[in-house]
Amino acid sequence: MMKKIILILIFAALFISCEKVVEIDVPSIEPKLIVDASFEIYFDENPLTAKNSVKLSLSADYFDEIIPPAIGATVFLTNLADNSIVTFSDVNSTGNYEPVNSFIPAENVEYELTIVYDNETYKGTAFRIKSTPLTNVEQGTETLFSGEETQLNIEFTDEVTIENYYLFDFTNNIFLTLEDRFFNGAIYNFSTFYQEDEIDLPTTVTIKMSGISRDYYTYFRILQGQSGQNGGGPFQTVPSSLLGNMINITNEENFPLGYFHISETDTFTLDLVELED
Amino acid sequence: MKKILFLFFLGSISLFSQEKFTVSGTVYDNNNNETLIGVSIYFPELNAGTTTNEYGFYSITLPSGTHKIQVSYLGFTTINETLLLTEKITKNFKLIEESESLAEIVIEADIEKINVRSPQMSVNKLTSATIKKIPVVLGEADIIKSLILLPGVTSAGEGASGFNVRGGAADQNLILLDEAIVFNSSHLFGFFSVFNPDVIKDVKLYKGGIPARFGGRLSSVLDIYQKEGNSNEFNVTGGIGLVSSRLLIEGPIEKEKSSFVVAGRASYAHLFLPLFDNDNKAYFYDLNSKVNYRFNYKNNLFLSTYFGKDIFGISDSFVNEYGNTVVNLRWNHLFSDKIFSNLSLIYSDYFYGLTLDFVGFEWDSGITNFNLKYDFKHYLNENFKLSYGINNIYNKFNPGEILPNREDSGIQPEKLIDKYANEFAAYLEAEQKVSDNLTLQYGVRFSHFTRLGQDEINVYANNQPVIYNQQFKKYESAQATGTESFERSDALATFQNFEPRVSLSYALDDNTSIKASYNRMAQYLHLLSNTASPTPLDVWAPSGRFIDPQLLDQFAIGYFKSLKNGDYSLETEVFYKDIQNRIDYINGANLIANNEIETVILNGQARAYGLEVLFKKNEGRFTGFLAYTLARSEQQTLGRTATEPGINNGEWYSSPFDKTHDISINGSYELSKKWTFNANFLFQTGQPTNYPVGQYEIQGLNVPIFDDNRRNADRLPAYHRLDISATLTPEKNKNRKWKGEWVFGIYNLYGRENAASINFSQNRETLRNEAVQTSIFGLVPSVTYNFEF
Repeated sequence: MMKKIILILIFAALFISCEKVVEIDVPSIEPKLIVDASFEIYFDENPLTAKNSVKLSLSADYFDEIIPPAIGATVFLTNLADNSIVTFSDVNSTGNYEPVNSFIPAENVEYELTIVYDNETYKGTAFRIKSTPLTNVEQGTETLFSGEETQLNIEFTDEVTIENYYLFDFTNNIFLTLEDRFFNGAIYNFSTFYQEDEIDLPTTVTIKMSGISRDYYTYFRILQGQSGQNGGGPFQTVPSSLLGNMINITNEENFPLGYFHISETDTFTLDLVELED
Repeated sequence: MKKILFLFFLGSISLFSQEKFTVSGTVYDNNNNETLIGVSIYFPELNAGTTTNEYGFYSITLPSGTHKIQVSYLGFTTINETLLLTEKITKNFKLIEESESLAEIVIEADIEKINVRSPQMSVNKLTSATIKKIPVVLGEADIIKSLILLPGVTSAGEGASGFNVRGGAADQNLILLDEAIVFNSSHLFGFFSVFNPDVIKDVKLYKGGIPARFGGRLSSVLDIYQKEGNSNEFNVTGGIGLVSSRLLIEGPIEKEKSSFVVAGRASYAHLFLPLFDNDNKAYFYDLNSKVNYRFNYKNNLFLSTYFGKDIFGISDSFVNEYGNTVVNLRWNHLFSDKIFSNLSLIYSDYFYGLTLDFVGFEWDSGITNFNLKYDFKHYLNENFKLSYGINNIYNKFNPGEILPNREDSGIQPEKLIDKYANEFAAYLEAEQKVSDNLTLQYGVRFSHFTRLGQDEINVYANNQPVIYNQQFKKYESAQATGTESFERSDALATFQNFEPRVSLSYALDDNTSIKASYNRMAQYLHLLSNTASPTPLDVWAPSGRFIDPQLLDQFAIGYFKSLKNGDYSLETEVFYKDIQNRIDYINGANLIANNEIETVILNGQARAYGLEVLFKKNEGRFTGFLAYTLARSEQQTLGRTATEPGINNGEWYSSPFDKTHDISINGSYELSKKWTFNANFLFQTGQPTNYPVGQYEIQGLNVPIFDDNRRNADRLPAYHRLDISATLTPEKNKNRKWKGEWVFGIYNLYGRENAASINFSQNRETLRNEAVQTSIFGLVPSVTYNFEF
C-alpha cells in the first residue's frame, strides 16, 4: 500500500517540464563577415606541424539552412617582428583559406591577420599561446543524471609560472574551457561526460587540448553558452553580440564577428567502448 | 466686562477640556489565545479608533465617560460593548471565530476589508486560511504563489524563485519572518516558498507608502508573523500532500502564560528524479519553532527559530545544499499603558554549498547577519501616535570558498575575500489625525552604512575596474594594479541617507477616501544576478568603493471605496518609481566565484510606473477579487563618458520583470458546509527576452547573433492559466476532536504550455536551428489532506 502511494506521488511529479519546438519570427540583420581563424600548433609532435586555416563565411538569418561562405577575399598574415608576409588562398572556393606555403607560427611574435573582402579591410592580431601536454585520457565508469553518460578522465600538469587558460575539444562540437585559477601548477585530473545523444559507442575519439589567451577564454565561454550548449531556462544570462578580436578598419559600423587565435595544441586519441551495467 | 469675558473663557475651557484616560490591552483569539494583528477598536460616538499592532496590543486615550466600543476583525464576531472610562484601564478582548459562532451561514472573507481612513496604502494582507484555499500546483499552499495574484506582484514564472513588486527586482524585497530577514524565499530552485503555511499567522505586503520602521530594501516589505502557539490546549494540525507533508504541534507550557509551537515540513525524497535510480536525492525541509513566556501584563518574551534546507544530489558526484537559519529573541515591554516596545535580537544566516566530485571541488558561500532592533510605539492621544526606534545590522559576506573534495583532486583551496558591513538606522514617525477627514503619517528614517575593512581590496588604474575597449567596442574587466589591506575596524566607504516617508488619507465620506504617499528608500546590499531569475548560487554584495547604494523615490496616489457596508471594495492606485544606482553587468560577465565583481558592473538607473486596480467581494457565500495591473519597468545604463555606449546604446530597455498587463481573478464559493470551491485565473504579458538576429559558425559550433542595441526587446508568449480546487470538509467533523479536510485541485486546467524559456540552438541530429520552448507545468492534479486534533 505504502509503495503504491509513493508511486502515485512520483507519477504526479512527472507531469513537470516539457519541451517542444516552436515557430518564432526572428528579426534579421545585414550579413556580416565571420572570421574563424583558429591556428593550432601540434607542439608535442615530432616534427612540429600546424593547422593554420582561416575560414570566412557570412552570417545568415537564424532559421536559414545555409550559411554562405565568403569567397574571393584577399587573406594574408604579417609577422610584425620582421614584417614578413604569409599569403593564404582559397583553392577550392569554399571559404577555407590555407597558407600557400606551410609554416609554423613562432613563439613571442605578434602576427597580424588581414582580410580584404567586399572592398573592406579587416584586421586582427594574435600571439602563439603556450600549452602543456595531456598526460592521460581514459574512459571512466561513473555516470551522472541519466545514468547513460560516458565518462572521460583527463589528466595534465599545469604550468606554474603563468596564468593558463585551456580549451578542450572532445569532438562532435563538444568543448570545455578551463582556467588554472584553482589548480595552478598542480597535476590536475577531472572528469567530463558525454551525454547519451552526443556520442555513439563504440567509437574512436581524438581529444584536443589547446592553450588559449584570457580574452579568447572569455570569448569562447560566452560563445559556448550562447550556442545553447549550456542550456537555458530561468538561469539563462542575457545574451550579447559577442564581439571578437577582428575589426573592420574601412567601416567601423560593419563590424565582423569571430576570432583570430594561435594555440599550442596537444591531441590524444582513444577508443571508447560500451560498458556493461 | 473684560473680567466677565475672562471668566467665561476659563469656564469654557474647564467645560471642554474633560479629563482623559487611556484604555489599553491585547486582543486574543478565544479559541487558541493567539494574539490578533490589525483588530479594529472603534468608538463610534467619538469617531475615534485604533488597531492592534503586530503583538495584538492596542492603546487609545479618550475623554472620560461612557462610550460604546466596537471590536471587529475579519472572520470573527464583532464585540459591541459599553465602556465606562473614569480611570485608566486595561481591557483585553477575546474574539470568537464566526464559523464557530454562527450555526447557519458561514461568512468567510478572504482578504482584509479595506480601512478607508488609515493613511497606509499600497498594502495587501493575506491570512493563512486564504492562502490554503488558493489552488496551487501540486496542492502545496504557498504564500509567495498567493501573493502573485495581487496587483503589482509578478514572478518570472514557474520554477523562478522570488517575486517582483511594482517592477522591482527580487532582491529589492525585504522578507521578514518574525522581524528577522530571510534571504532565500524559495525551495527547489523556486518551485515552492520556504514558508510553512500552517505556522503563519499574518502576512502583509507593503508595496508603497512603506512605514519608516522598515528599510534596507527598495521595492517591498513582506512582513510575516508566525503563530505563538495555542496557550489553552494542545493542538496538532497537519497535512499530507503530493509534494510534502506538514505537522504542527502547539500547546501551553503554562496555561495562558506560556506556549510553544513546533512545525515541520518535509518533501518526499527522489521527487523530481527517476524512480529507478536510488542514488539520487532531491528534497527540502523546514523546521519552525517558537516559545513565548508572558511574565506579566507588561513583559512578554518570544524565542523563535526557523531552519530550512534544500538538498539535491546525484550519487556522490554532484551535491547541492542550501538554506536559511534564523534565530530570534524578542522582548515586548510596556513602559506605560501608552508606550509599547519591542526589542529584538536576531541572527540570520544563508548558506549555499556545492560539491562537484567530477571536477574535484567543494564550494560554499553565504551571508550571516546579526540584527538588533528596538522599536517603540507611543500612543500619545487618540489623534497622535508616534513610532520610533533604532536598528543595527552587522553583515558578514562569504562570497565563496573553494576546497578540494578528495586527496587526489589537484584543486587548491581558495577563499574569496570575506566582506563586512554595518548598517545602522534610526527612525521617527507620527500618525496624526488632523481632522475627521484627514489623517497623516509622516516620518523619516536615517540610515548609515559602513563598509568595513577587509583583508584585501583591489586597486585599479584611474579607479576604473571596468574599461571600455574603443578598438573592439566592448567593456572589459580591468586588471587590478595592486591591493590594499585594512583592519576590520577601518571604514572602506560610508554612506548615509535621510529617507522621508509621508502618506495621507483624506476621507471623502465614510466609505470613500483618497490616499497619497511618497517614500524614499535606500538599499545597501545587492544580489549579484544576471540571470532571468535569481538562483540559490547568487551571492549578496555590500555597497562600497565600487558599488553605490540603490536609492528609490516612489510616489503613489489612490482612490479607495468601500461599497455596501464593506461587502465590496475597490482600490485603485497609480505609482511612479525612480531608482538610482541600479547595477547591470557587462556582456558575458561571469559572476560565479568572481573575486572582482566590480570589474563586471556598470552603474545605471531604473524606473517603473503603473496602475493597479483591485476589486473585491469580501462577504457572502461567494467571495473573490479581480486584480489588474498595467505597468512598465525599465532600466537605463548610460556610458560613463561620451565615447562609451553604455548598455543598449544608452537607451532605456525593459527590465527582465517588465510585465505590461497582469490580470488575476480569484473566486471562492461556499456551496455548503461540506463543499467549498475555489478558482483562479492568471494572465501576464510574456517576459522580456532576446531573440537572435542571425547565426554563424565558429569551430563547428552554430552560434546565434544577438543585437546589443535591442536588449530585452522581444517577449515570450503571454502566460496564462486557470486553476481550480474543491475543499471537502466531512460533516462528521462537527462533534469530534479530529477534524479533517480534503483539498482537491487541478492546476492549469486547460493545460496551457506556458513558456518558461525559449532556447535557440542547433538540433544535433537534423543540424537545423530550432527554437525550443520549455514549459514547466502542464495540467497537474493534486490532493491534499489537512487535519487537526
